[in-house]
Amino acid sequence: MSTLEDGLRQIMADETERLHAAPDLADRVLRSSRRKTKRVRLTALAAAATVAAAVVPAYLVLGQDSTAVRGGETGGMVATSVTSQPDAASAAPEPPAIDDTPEPDPTATPDLGDLGDGRAFGHVRVGYLPEGLQWSHWSLDFGDRYTTSWNYDGDKNGFYCVQIYVYEGQAVQEVEERLRMHREVREGEEVTLGGRAGYLIRQGVGEDGGDGTPTVFVDMGGQRWAEVMFSPVYAKEFDDADAIARELRKVAEGLTAAA
Amino acid sequence: MSGTEDDEFVAFVAARGTSLLRVAYLACGDEGEAEDLLQTALERTYRNWDRVRRDNPEPYVRRVIVNTAISRARRRAILRIIPTHTPPESSARQADVDLRHVLMDTLRALPPRQRAVVVLRYWEDLSETQTAEILGCSAGTVKSQASKAIAKLRLVIGEESVKGVISNVHA
Repeated sequence: MSTLEDGLRQIMADETERLHAAPDLADRVLRSSRRKTKRVRLTALAAAATVAAAVVPAYLVLGQDSTAVRGGETGGMVATSVTSQPDAASAAPEPPAIDDTPEPDPTATPDLGDLGDGRAFGHVRVGYLPEGLQWSHWSLDFGDRYTTSWNYDGDKNGFYCVQIYVYEGQAVQEVEERLRMHREVREGEEVTLGGRAGYLIRQGVGEDGGDGTPTVFVDMGGQRWAEVMFSPVYAKEFDDADAIARELRKVAEGLTAAA
Repeated sequence: MSGTEDDEFVAFVAARGTSLLRVAYLACGDEGEAEDLLQTALERTYRNWDRVRRDNPEPYVRRVIVNTAISRARRRAILRIIPTHTPPESSARQADVDLRHVLMDTLRALPPRQRAVVVLRYWEDLSETQTAEILGCSAGTVKSQASKAIAKLRLVIGEESVKGVISNVHA
């Protein structure tokens, strides 16, 4: 054994020798999978029942594993990232939960500065936003990826309604990887947004009992992708999944490269 | 899912769980997160078990583990701005801290994709082509990432320390 690679190999073996999978791992996976499947089904059932009754209750509580669904508020902390989830209303109660996003550290993270009305940030201009929203005064800037959001009161510490994440250059790889995984498990759908390729998906379904984050990715060309997200609570203000998708698509279609 | 398929899944986890946990640990560098990573990957696998079980499911699980670890690490790096290039403080070496720990810490501090390449190439002993398949990139990219990772490890711990690490391994 004479190379760093060989040494590394041995060190990794030593380092992991003590690790053993828990004896009940398979049971935990089965229980968790069944619980999440049940929850998604109940959520879909609740949505169908709500439409049928043409009534929006203040909240629905559907049992131990179900979701408390409040109406008429905006909210949900700003989503800094997410991963794959299917639409709760779709037939296949697909996967959960690779969302482990930590809270942003405001002391360590650069932002995009004062964006005024927030309609232009980084290298992107926002042509359309749903009515009543204003820039939240919150943003993050990591160079090849940056993001900001909009809500009703412009409070940077408040909840978000719409968030847009832009990926450029090397960062586009991350989007491509995520989309590859979504496609691999047949989540979401390919869409065309003003002649540009896009991908429509509801991410994080079942996370914390939630309905997920309606999201559309759009390829803006020139090694730039944007990820447009509606917060799960804001999404409840729309009549149905089609209405959410329409608005998401309008926001995505309105995105252009800033001069 | 049928009882037979559930039994197959349970048998697979019993047979390969520990090996996969070790991959998860090396990919993310944290024991608690590795357990969560593995469970997440297995849940995803279970949902697709009717398709996955027909072939060898292990590469599928490994792929989910590695890609999820990369994805999570990137998000965290974005939010924390981890200085991945900072060498260990010289005082640590002066204090004769175990070089193996320094190497493991350096491995943890590699960019997630490079770390994944190291784990897959040198721990899983996968070929460049197999590693490329899992990471969804070209074999050339794997080669260059592995080369960069090894160069970084060598640079950070220093040539002299490399000899120390290797002799420790021999010991």
